Amino acid sequence: MSLLEIENLHVDVAGQPILAGIDLTVAAGEVHAVMGPNGSGKSTLANVLAGRPGYDITEGTVTVDGEDVAGLSPEERSLRGLFLAFQYPIEIPGVSNMEFLKAAVDAHAVGRGEDPPSAVDFVKRARECAARLELNPDFLKRGVNDGFSGGEKKRNEILQMLVLEPRIAVLDETDSGLDIDALQVVADGINAFRGNGNGLVLVTHYQRLLNFVVPDHVHVLSRGRIVHSGDSSVALQLEERGYGWLDG
Amino acid sequence: MAGLTADSESFADRLLDLGSTGYASWLDREPHRKLVEERRLPKLRAEAWRHTNVTRWYEAVLSGPGTPAKRTRLSVPAGVEAVDFESGRARELAEQRGQETFSLAAHPLAALNALLLGAGAAIRVPAGIRATGPVRIGDLPAAYQRVLVIVETDARVELIEEPSTFTHRLLEVVVQPGGRLSHRRLQAAASARECSLVAVRTAADASYELVQTSLGADLRRNDILATLAGDGAMVTIRGAWRLDESRHLDNQVAVHHAAPGGTSRQTYRGVADGRSRAVLNGRIEIAPGAQHSDATLSTKNLLASNTAEVYAKPELLIYANDVKCSHGATIGAIDDDAVHYFRSRGIDEHRARSLFVRGFLREAIDDVEAAQRLGVIQ
Repeated sequence: MSLLEIENLHVDVAGQPILAGIDLTVAAGEVHAVMGPNGSGKSTLANVLAGRPGYDITEGTVTVDGEDVAGLSPEERSLRGLFLAFQYPIEIPGVSNMEFLKAAVDAHAVGRGEDPPSAVDFVKRARECAARLELNPDFLKRGVNDGFSGGEKKRNEILQMLVLEPRIAVLDETDSGLDIDALQVVADGINAFRGNGNGLVLVTHYQRLLNFVVPDHVHVLSRGRIVHSGDSSVALQLEERGYGWLDG
Repeated sequence: MAGLTADSESFADRLLDLGSTGYASWLDREPHRKLVEERRLPKLRAEAWRHTNVTRWYEAVLSGPGTPAKRTRLSVPAGVEAVDFESGRARELAEQRGQETFSLAAHPLAALNALLLGAGAAIRVPAGIRATGPVRIGDLPAAYQRVLVIVETDARVELIEEPSTFTHRLLEVVVQPGGRLSHRRLQAAASARECSLVAVRTAADASYELVQTSLGADLRRNDILATLAGDGAMVTIRGAWRLDESRHLDNQVAVHHAAPGGTSRQTYRGVADGRSRAVLNGRIEIAPGAQHSDATLSTKNLLASNTAEVYAKPELLIYANDVKCSHGATIGAIDDDAVHYFRSRGIDEHRARSLFVRGFLREAIDDVEAAQRLGVIQ
């Protein structure tokens, strides 16, 4: 069974049609990249998968492990193993990263019918994941994204992904705002997550992340539809030729 | 009391008929009686009572003391002196305090406190001592209460004021040079109508810190006045509140820089839900000659329902030309994007909102456990 299956997905935002029939299937262990020019619907796709309010599915289905998730709340989707790394992570002053992660991990444990991990086990795990992303342990004590640099915010998203171990992760422009060193660290984090029966969808405008995380499939989105699919060489073609030739 | 009219005219007549209590007979009540006779009690919709209907409190005064606590809950650590406010020793301590820490004209309800006074204490923290535990003021066995706290030179103490029932409480604090008082005030939800005045005077290099954590009441009005009376004094005030249903909380805070080189910090964070009403008036006054004063005030408010009301008003009165002063006030809703962010990580909406609110209030809370016990955060 496919991990993520999107069929004929149509989405309106504020009454405007943005996605006009997307089909995408991600099997366990696969990495897919969704590329496209600005305004093609990439972020809408990411947001609608996470259940963000204001994104209305007018037609089509989204299933995770065979279960239709379109009618589920954002938290229910998360508990079923769907994860979105936000393009613009939200700042939440006064709530530490540690508290935020613990609340999320506890909710997932309860969702699985398990006891929440002990504080000691949790902190150990959070620190391990932070170290993998070359984040100082103090990072966990800071307010969620509060005063973080662009790069820190993106690393924090990947930290959450590593701690929560989702079945399918959608990374929305996680490469934007990263310098080359940070990109390498983030890519290492993504590669550590890759495989293990997980699925990954990398939503990106540029090819550069794909030098470090080589996708199995590349899809090109234009005007709310996938207009071209292929292997990782598609990304290189886009890098050389831009998006114009696809609309021709 | 059915059919009661509590407009300030007839209220003053009724009050004068009642006469004054015999408690703490050493207290000179002449100025208080005169204030009432001259009809100088606040009137309905007076500027300082714009958001609190003072006649509702007058009704509570006339309808009797309600059910004041039967016993006194007051404890002090070793080395700290505490006496009944009625005693001759309290009178001596009042003399040691010198001039009152507030003016009756600016705080006229203090007149009612004096006339109807039924319980109180005077507390002295002797010079140089570092108190080993907190002074705790809980219930006092009357509806009108008065407490005087004197922190002598270089002494340090913590004061914990816990939930208690009263109609009016007056707390006077004097911190002598180099002394430090850390005041924690927990105000539980109440069906009562209550007013209080905390009036503080800090001498040179003395510091006073107030952390007030509040739920609302049927009517709750907190007047807080802190005067930086000596060079280099420091005043820190933090207030966090959370109101729901039709609860009411009116905080009127004035920080008065009367001497040079003082520093004051005011931080308020409040959440109003249901049909509640939250008020914060924060005034910073810098007297002529109080040069190099440094004062800030920040108040941020969350409206958690569209029927709640929030009034946030910072006021600056600056009469010196070499000072640092800043203020900011915001009123907003709970951030839907933040709630979605929590939920996208598996945290349900109720918990997401309570975590968000907790984070929002955190800046004005120092004792998370106490705030949780009170129910201001979850």
